[in-house]
Amino acid sequence: MKRFITKAVIIAASACLMLSGFAGCTKKAGNANNYAVVGITQEPGIFDPHTVVAAGDEEIIFNIYEGLYKFDYEGNLNPCLATDVEISDDASVYTFTIRDGVKFHDGSDLDAADVVYSLKRAAGLLDGQDGVALVSELDSISDVTALSDGRVQVTLEASSYELLSCFTTGIIPENYDNCQAAPVGTGPFKFDSYTPGQSVILVKNDNYWVHDLPYLDKVTFKVCADMDAGLTELANGSIDIFPYLTPDRSNQLDETKYNVLSNGSNMVQIFALNNAVEPLNDLRVRQAINYAINRKDVISVTMDGASVELTTAMSPAMGSYYDTSLDGTFDQDIEKAKALMAEAGYENGFDLTCTVPSSYLIHVNTAVELASELKAIGINMEIKQVDWATWLDSVYAGRQYETTVIALTSDYAPYDVLSRYASTSDGNFINYSNSEVDKLLAQIPLTADVNERTALYHQVLGLLTNDACSVYLQDPATITAVSTRLEGYHVYPMYVQDMSQVKLAGN
Amino acid sequence: MSSQKTQSKRSPEASAFYIAGLILLGIVVVAFVISLFWTPYAPDATDAASKFLPPSLEHPFGTDNFGRDVLSRVMSASKYTIFISAAGVAIALILGTVSGIPAGYYGGFTDRGIMLLGNSIMCFPGILLALVAVAVFGASVTNVIWALGLVFAPTFARVCRLGTMEIKELDYITHARVMGVKPVRIMTFHIFPNLVSQLLPATVIGLANMTLFESGMSYLGLGVQPPDASFGKMLSDAQAYFRVAPWLVIFPAMMLIFYILGLYFISEGMRVSLTKGGK
Amino acid sequence: MQSKAGYLIGKLVELLLTLLVVSLLVFTAFSIIPGDAARVMLGPEASQAQVDLLRAELGLDKPLIVRYGSWLIGLLTFNPGTSYAYHMSVGELIAQRLPVTIGMSAIAMIMVIVISYPMAVLSARKPGRFGDQVCSVIGHILFAIPPYVASLLLILLAGSLFSLLTVGNYVSPSDDFIGYVGCLILPSFAIALPKIAMSFKFLRSSIIEQRTSDYVRTSKSHGLSDFKILIRHVLPNSNVSSITIISIILSDILGGSLIVEQVFNLPGLGRLLLSAISRRDFPLLSGIVFYLAFITVILYFLSDIAASLADPRIRLK
Repeated sequence: MKRFITKAVIIAASACLMLSGFAGCTKKAGNANNYAVVGITQEPGIFDPHTVVAAGDEEIIFNIYEGLYKFDYEGNLNPCLATDVEISDDASVYTFTIRDGVKFHDGSDLDAADVVYSLKRAAGLLDGQDGVALVSELDSISDVTALSDGRVQVTLEASSYELLSCFTTGIIPENYDNCQAAPVGTGPFKFDSYTPGQSVILVKNDNYWVHDLPYLDKVTFKVCADMDAGLTELANGSIDIFPYLTPDRSNQLDETKYNVLSNGSNMVQIFALNNAVEPLNDLRVRQAINYAINRKDVISVTMDGASVELTTAMSPAMGSYYDTSLDGTFDQDIEKAKALMAEAGYENGFDLTCTVPSSYLIHVNTAVELASELKAIGINMEIKQVDWATWLDSVYAGRQYETTVIALTSDYAPYDVLSRYASTSDGNFINYSNSEVDKLLAQIPLTADVNERTALYHQVLGLLTNDACSVYLQDPATITAVSTRLEGYHVYPMYVQDMSQVKLAGN
Repeated sequence: MSSQKTQSKRSPEASAFYIAGLILLGIVVVAFVISLFWTPYAPDATDAASKFLPPSLEHPFGTDNFGRDVLSRVMSASKYTIFISAAGVAIALILGTVSGIPAGYYGGFTDRGIMLLGNSIMCFPGILLALVAVAVFGASVTNVIWALGLVFAPTFARVCRLGTMEIKELDYITHARVMGVKPVRIMTFHIFPNLVSQLLPATVIGLANMTLFESGMSYLGLGVQPPDASFGKMLSDAQAYFRVAPWLVIFPAMMLIFYILGLYFISEGMRVSLTKGGK
Repeated sequence: MQSKAGYLIGKLVELLLTLLVVSLLVFTAFSIIPGDAARVMLGPEASQAQVDLLRAELGLDKPLIVRYGSWLIGLLTFNPGTSYAYHMSVGELIAQRLPVTIGMSAIAMIMVIVISYPMAVLSARKPGRFGDQVCSVIGHILFAIPPYVASLLLILLAGSLFSLLTVGNYVSPSDDFIGYVGCLILPSFAIALPKIAMSFKFLRSSIIEQRTSDYVRTSKSHGLSDFKILIRHVLPNSNVSSITIISIILSDILGGSLIVEQVFNLPGLGRLLLSAISRRDFPLLSGIVFYLAFITVILYFLSDIAASLADPRIRLK
């Protein structure tokens, strides 16, 4: 009897040992180190440069496709596949000069025909497309033609001086229609493979038109279940770069192994108030809510203080387009807030529901903090978490909600940031409506002078803040951990991972 | 129902289990009862200035990432944990016995039909069911309870069905049947009491599993809605701060373990005295 | 008395019906919950026109009932369809995730058996004694620890104490089999812990029950040694009853590894399921649910048969 048990225990123990012994051998010797693994938390899905909209997809394909123009990490718009652009005086015709000596990943040369095809495809002008633009910003293009001198002429239905930033749309080879399965572009990296739920692998484009770039042979975008799973991988060295961390996470990393980079993300986190429902349709109530909130505390609790406070619909990261005179408009003032509530007839407060997407911890946490702060003026806010698909359907597209918390992302272009506040815009999920704003937004693209345009943007921002259309909270910092093994990584003020500049440290 | 058996004599082993179980469960229940009247701080009052304070006299269990007092939160979380698991098990138990005993007793098509539905529910991802419940009826504790009850009902039904199949072949049941006792009466007064000893462990495991399942649902935003919390929700929230603020994990985990362990010991005590008394 | 073949056919019909009911449930669930695959794929920045375009491309503009019908027809021809979100065949997607799920279930199952059997035998030898008490208390504590707390503890332990086991870095078995097993050990252990407790508790009581049964007492009186009785009579008999518990545990592991996959960042079926739900990917979700249901039903089916073989009273008339 005893013997049997001893035997059983020995077998059990040796089996465990054997298994753990196997595991011990798994650390592989590193030889070809010239690669980087980037952790991403959103499952990639779309690789077609014209149908892509989700930020999580764009940050990957930024390395595969290039447009006529391209943003750099300081937010400057530089010529890329075009060397130059000529904009007609009334801004209805853009004429691009195409760069020579650029090769696609499939080996073919870039020429005007490829650009014409790509832009037509993006604008929905190809035969068989029913005129619906794949890239909605390019909807106003009415024709694209190749001129005899090799330049490409783009004609617009409605003039716009604000369209150049939209020509960052990827250029693909003429008549190529298989970008989803086999992406072909001109970018620094070629698409190698995609394993759903696991990774996207890119390899070096040896024929890249910028000499000496890229440095790395291989870049893997690895899907992590969530930020904490990514953190575990980071701590274990299986990921080199991990963006979108919160400070309390990045503080846990070993400083000798990781550099932590931080930058404004040019996002606008908004406590969105549905302007069409009672009692939020009352300006005084919206103002009261704005005054009741302490943005510093929100930032402290959700981002450990590493964000920029906002009082209006644009981040200061947008430079001169941002109106600094609006700073401090809604500094916390409980007395004023209470007075406004009383004036609106709600001295006893009211009940409110905040519908937040459960997949975004920062927004859920923000809602918790807001609910606690709003108690001071008698507002009893209940939090309701919904999953992302439900949020998109019923809150964003359906507008069936009272309040929500979300971050609005946009290109590094002011018109992109503000056009959603037009009363007819699809993106106007807060149901904001001000005819003056509508008028200004129609006028901006037609204004040739940059300074004049800037002034008009300032007017729009002023109106949005005056109307207290929602509560603008913060521009959450983009915090990225980069292994000390690598250098040359830059945090972009938009949703992009540019791997072309990254190289091994010391090389 | 089975009092005449338990009364007979209580073995020292059973008493030890009872005492240990009652002490552990008692801690959680006392916290719950006190929380109804008083907590040291308001459990959902945030204070950005006092984030992540380690345990001290002022905050015996420390504070969390919102600067909320963890002791107060643990106390109020016991309410949700106890309520959700108890109500969920009650629903599962009722659904399970009501469907499982007839299935085992009648057999044939009744059995097949009920088991078909039960198996289908068991194969259906519980998370999806919870999503549906939340989407249709809104995210609330009541809906979580219903979802849990439905997800766990088939487990109880299986236990009841198998138990009934064994018991119904016993002589005294056959006698009762021959003597013309109505099936409903047989099932209620003869079969069900005999299932209690099998259902008890299932109930305790159900309570534990439900508490764990509920925390999984919280993890996906389907359980208790913030700022309210259950032990499981507190734990999944604290995950990220495991290394920097271990007290956020330790105290809710401790309470959760007390709760489940307490239930276990009590059920063990019951089992021991039932089997010993029965033989 | 029905023939064995008839019994089997009956069970088979039951199995198919179960699968049909499950797929109907999934279908109903999807017609109730809000959200739309195209919208999720494109995100909030997309215009309504873009969303509509993608909807048409994916065939989402057709009513759900039509899509369900074509899915069902596809299934009959062994074609589970194409995922909306991944543009890939559902079968291929599931096959990609299987190594993780199967590997984890297998390792966890081995751990459960290898650890709980000796523990139960040891414990049941002299019930109530010190060793038994210790095992029981450990078992209870194991059961009370939520899997993700166990996962976190294991990660912490593995990271700081041993730095032996790879955490997070999943390796596919075709690349490096040893590495594959290595990265699954910790997560499997986290899943196995509560199941070890469950199986221990069950085995222990069934061994004790068998030991006190008449035939064991008879064998004892015939002079058979304790050890022989244990091997020849007690264990085999408790084995039969443990088939039920083992199949329950296995299906639990299959369906319940979701959170562990999340914590350890493993690309298993659980995460695929979750992503299918959150992205409203009807073909993928019904494919996975159908597949899991298939395995679960088969397991119960086998356990029912085993139970009926062991105990004739359970056999259907």
